[in-house]
Amino acid sequence: MYQLTSVAKLYHKGRRTVAAVQDLTLTIDDGQWLAVQGRTGHGKSTLLNLLGGLDRPTSGTLELDGTSLGALPQTRLTQVRAAKIGFIFQTFNLIPTLSAAENVEAALIPLSAGQSRRGERVAAALDSVGLADRAGHLPTELSGGQQQRVAIARALVKDPKVVLADEPTGNLDTDTRDDIIALLEHLWRDRGLTLILVTHDTTIARRAQRVGVMNNGHLTIRQDSPNR
Amino acid sequence: MFFVTYVRRELRRRMRQAIFVALGLALGVGLVVTVAAASAGVTRAQFRVLRTLYGAATTVTVTGSKWQAPSRPPKGTPAPQMGPHGPEICVAGGTCTSAAGKTLSTFDTLTEGISVAKVAAAARLPGVAAAAGGIFLNQSSLSWPKNGASTARRGGNALGARMGGYPLEGVDTRHPTLGPLGGASLISGRSFTAADAGAHVAVVDAGYARSHGLRIGAVLPIAGPADANGRTPAIRFTVIGIVRQAAGSNPPSVYVPLKAAQDLLWLQTGPASLHGKVTTIYLAAASAADVPAVTREVARLLPGTKVTSASGLASEVAGSVTSAAKLANDLGRWLAVLVLIAAFAVASLLTMAAVARRAAEFGTLKALGWRTRRIIAQVLGESLAVGLAGAAAGIGLGYTGAAIIAAVTPSVSATVGSNGEGCCATLIGGSPVQTVAVPLHPSVSAGMIVLAVILAVAGALLAGAFGSWRIARLRPADALSRVA
Repeated sequence: MYQLTSVAKLYHKGRRTVAAVQDLTLTIDDGQWLAVQGRTGHGKSTLLNLLGGLDRPTSGTLELDGTSLGALPQTRLTQVRAAKIGFIFQTFNLIPTLSAAENVEAALIPLSAGQSRRGERVAAALDSVGLADRAGHLPTELSGGQQQRVAIARALVKDPKVVLADEPTGNLDTDTRDDIIALLEHLWRDRGLTLILVTHDTTIARRAQRVGVMNNGHLTIRQDSPNR
Repeated sequence: MFFVTYVRRELRRRMRQAIFVALGLALGVGLVVTVAAASAGVTRAQFRVLRTLYGAATTVTVTGSKWQAPSRPPKGTPAPQMGPHGPEICVAGGTCTSAAGKTLSTFDTLTEGISVAKVAAAARLPGVAAAAGGIFLNQSSLSWPKNGASTARRGGNALGARMGGYPLEGVDTRHPTLGPLGGASLISGRSFTAADAGAHVAVVDAGYARSHGLRIGAVLPIAGPADANGRTPAIRFTVIGIVRQAAGSNPPSVYVPLKAAQDLLWLQTGPASLHGKVTTIYLAAASAADVPAVTREVARLLPGTKVTSASGLASEVAGSVTSAAKLANDLGRWLAVLVLIAAFAVASLLTMAAVARRAAEFGTLKALGWRTRRIIAQVLGESLAVGLAGAAAGIGLGYTGAAIIAAVTPSVSATVGSNGEGCCATLIGGSPVQTVAVPLHPSVSAGMIVLAVILAVAGALLAGAFGSWRIARLRPADALSRVA
């Protein structure tokens, strides 16, 4: 469970101070799907970075399961990311030199799992996204949708508690977008994930339990259907 | 396994850059290896010259002071001169006889003798493992044909005589390895033993033996001290050994026991001038660390003599071998250092550029929970692989460079000053300076290969360290933002 209390993230650009996130107090329960919308530059990705422990709040507290991410030393924060948080990016961020299976395996490296165990988990993850037969393919040999499936498998292979998706369908066509969202929704339901998804797409956002809109660093919850 | 796969794939992706960096390192390392090989070759060439002259085991050499020729030749000294009826051999303070059909042989040295007792005293000095006395003589001969006297010309050595001569060394038979004989390789027969001290036996150079038809057991006549009539009856030496010595380095052609050599010399101040004396003391220090102290102590024990250590001996070698040494040590070394620095700099810049290009990749890995040090290890692994490739190529280039030098410069000249005694036959007007051709064989040693690997890997890791520094400073959020 995420508990954000008066979280703010400020950036200094010369003499100017930009508040990417301001006075954000929010609770995200385990297993919830929160969609975050908003215009470009209004703090969506910053919020995701804060939730993922990739950045620290300037003020306020941000807790994941009672642990303040902002106060954790870098090593511990890295461990939290490795064990509990899966990331899905708009541009997939697959390592171009590694095959689909190796890209997925990369997420297991920090967990010190044995090679055979890693192999089993990678195969299962790729199977769960329908790419068992593409394990040896390089990213350049896969379509955009397939690359995003690999990225989803990479996010899920470590059985994370939270998946943070930043515009996961932003680079995909409509049909592929629907496939990916359907897959994410299926995995969310199936695995009881906490899914926080940043999107410009209202049709996608509406499928979430909660929809928040970021505007000048402020988050406003517009849809709250926790029982969906 | 994942580590290796990732390194391999990444290097394959950046193959051109990896090859470029590896070649840069290889060039620098290859140059270092080539220069080191050439330097080793030059050092070996110098060593060969010195080894021939002073013996392999000798670390300190003591030579007597320069001999001052008397204003008048001692009584009984024969000398050629032009008489009214042609060339004559005249004995100082005696009579002159026609030189027709005669041979005038002399032995001479250019240094004053050192008492044999001083050899024993030097042997007792602390840090001295062994000491041996030696006598270096130049045999000179003038031979007149029976009917050639009428063609003789007055003046100098050109008295119508055929000139000949060879260098001869008197060896302390208890320590034959000290002195020039120690630098020779025995190819036939045997060397001297202590039992040969008073014997008329000789060890001869292979080239001299070949040109004079000498074999083991053959008799070698050596002209002895002149009699009252200026005649120099031959003393018969038996050849007991034939040795091979460095080609062109003008080593002694004949080695005889020290006592016999002392008997042969007469010109300096009379027939018995070197009895109980030597012209050179060869010392072997107990260790390299003892050489400076031994040098000091010997100089104190034997004032007026010239005491030279191995390093000092090396400085006596001049000529193109020295130029080659300077070229290798000065220009070559600095050139290699400059190329290495350039290679390191280029490798560092390219690695940093590669890290900058891969910022998003490293940001992604950090997002996946990779520790910074794990990512750095990955980058260093790539650098290490490039460094090893550079080392391998550098060693190859080093071998090629050494081979090219060997092919282009098969030999260098070494001009060796008189070792204190020189050749300088007064009769033939010889020079105290010998210029010899020394084969130059640059070779790559195991140490150089290790050095090459260390240099290339160090260069690559240095480049990787710069990249790692950037990675360590990379904030994951910033790194990922470079994608979006």
